[in-house]
Amino acid sequence: MLVVQNVNTYIGQKRIITDASFKINPGNIIGLIGPNGAGKTTLMKTILGLTKFNGQILLNQTTVTENQHAALDKVGTLIEHPAIYPFLTGQQNLELYAHDPDDCQSLISKLNMNTYIHDKAKGYSLGMKQKLGIAIALLNKPQLVILDEPMNGLDVEATIIVRRLIHQYAAKGTAFLISSHILSELQKVMNQVILINHGHIIINQPIAEFEQLHHQVYKLHTNNSQLTVDLLKNHHIHYTLDGGIFQVNPKNIFEIQDILSSQHVYLKELTPISSSFEQIVVQLLNQQRGGDHYDD
Amino acid sequence: MAFSFYQEFYKLCHRKLAWIAPLTLLILMILTDLSIGYNESKLLMATCYNAPDWIMLILVVVGATTFSMEFQNNAILTLLYKSPSKALVYLSKYIVILIYNLWLHLIAMLFTFGLHETSLNQSVSWSTLYRYQQPLWENMLKTSAIDVLTTTFIISLIFLLSCLINSNSIVISVSLLMVFMGQFISDNLLNSEKFTQILRWNPFNMTNLTRQYYNYATYFDTSHLLNQQLLLGTLSYTLLFVIVGYLIFRKKRF
Repeated sequence: MLVVQNVNTYIGQKRIITDASFKINPGNIIGLIGPNGAGKTTLMKTILGLTKFNGQILLNQTTVTENQHAALDKVGTLIEHPAIYPFLTGQQNLELYAHDPDDCQSLISKLNMNTYIHDKAKGYSLGMKQKLGIAIALLNKPQLVILDEPMNGLDVEATIIVRRLIHQYAAKGTAFLISSHILSELQKVMNQVILINHGHIIINQPIAEFEQLHHQVYKLHTNNSQLTVDLLKNHHIHYTLDGGIFQVNPKNIFEIQDILSSQHVYLKELTPISSSFEQIVVQLLNQQRGGDHYDD
Repeated sequence: MAFSFYQEFYKLCHRKLAWIAPLTLLILMILTDLSIGYNESKLLMATCYNAPDWIMLILVVVGATTFSMEFQNNAILTLLYKSPSKALVYLSKYIVILIYNLWLHLIAMLFTFGLHETSLNQSVSWSTLYRYQQPLWENMLKTSAIDVLTTTFIISLIFLLSCLINSNSIVISVSLLMVFMGQFISDNLLNSEKFTQILRWNPFNMTNLTRQYYNYATYFDTSHLLNQQLLLGTLSYTLLFVIVGYLIFRKKRF
């Protein structure tokens, strides 16, 4: 449905996104994650034809450019802040974009906005505005929905409702591209992950594959920590060190054992440990920042 | 395209300012009638009780907030990506304000008929000959039509400024300065009597178009342009400001 191919985005002369390529199929829920300034919002804006870019963006085989938005007719979005006019009521804000009054009413009910939907939006709290912004993004049965930090300001109940709605829409074929710093929340909805840093996409995998590949690290304890540090550094093997206990990548464990034994350093412990999604992301970002180097 | 127009009309119709403006216009027209109506009945009828100046004031405020409300309410991104092109966003806003401008002029004419009927001052017949040996009703129609062109020129300038400056208060202030001080700036430029042949084509001079039409003798000495030349200048600057405004809007990063 959406094909992003070798896209480079520029702000002024500065390149913000470098050679981004990925696909989104109907029903996909893609989590777009990365640190502040990584280029998440810029990438979203690029897909919406709001930035200067080269490369190719195709939505349903139709090209999207900075001045060609016809293909975006079936795209809903909430980027940066909800697009809400304070002098209109919530209902009027929805009517402004809605093609079908029934769809509008259904979203008001699903998002529990009935009690305040006829009040002027200037009196809304952050959470109320956020829900209205999400409702606007979901109007008109979109094929693709782009949400930038959708859970901002939402209470627990609203978060659950939004999560449920995302699943319902995805089941009907709507694809989602969602960025969020609340990884635990994102983890509950996404089925594919794109990790971006410094404008480069460093991971683009189905979530199951991602967890399988990156979920485990190994705990390593040796009889000579200092020599182990030297050996790992000399062999450019990535590790973290905390109180004499190393954490190493599973792909390196056989190599590490060979290196250590050749120098008569003996293992006291080498056991797999699970990492949370957050830890994996931090680890991957650290690896990318320092190449295959070290964090101690 | 139809949906873009619908959205712009929807927003304009739901802004309090758009509905308070005609009421303000009526109050200002009544005040004008009360203050100078006793000896300037014909002039007031021909100029819709000085409506051109009041409409200009209203359009500066409404026009300046047309773009800035999008920037300040974070709605510009949604507006842009939902629209097939940036040109359409710009054009639909421009056309909706033009229609509002026409509507204000029509209302001003209706108010004029009403005020004429209820005026405390001496009643003058609409068929009385006045400027250009034409009846008063024709003077009023033509002055209003000419003023639509002057205000369209001002709207184009406001749109250009709105694309350069995001803050509506600054756009309103700068626009008001240009509209109401522009004439004095132009006067001063032309009073130096150097390069008059070139300087008389300065854009500030075009704000004199309506005033010169209903008071040629006084304003020709100020503008140094014939009515037709002022009209041509106004239309040319309108086109120029629309194009430059759009190009700035097109290049603007949001």
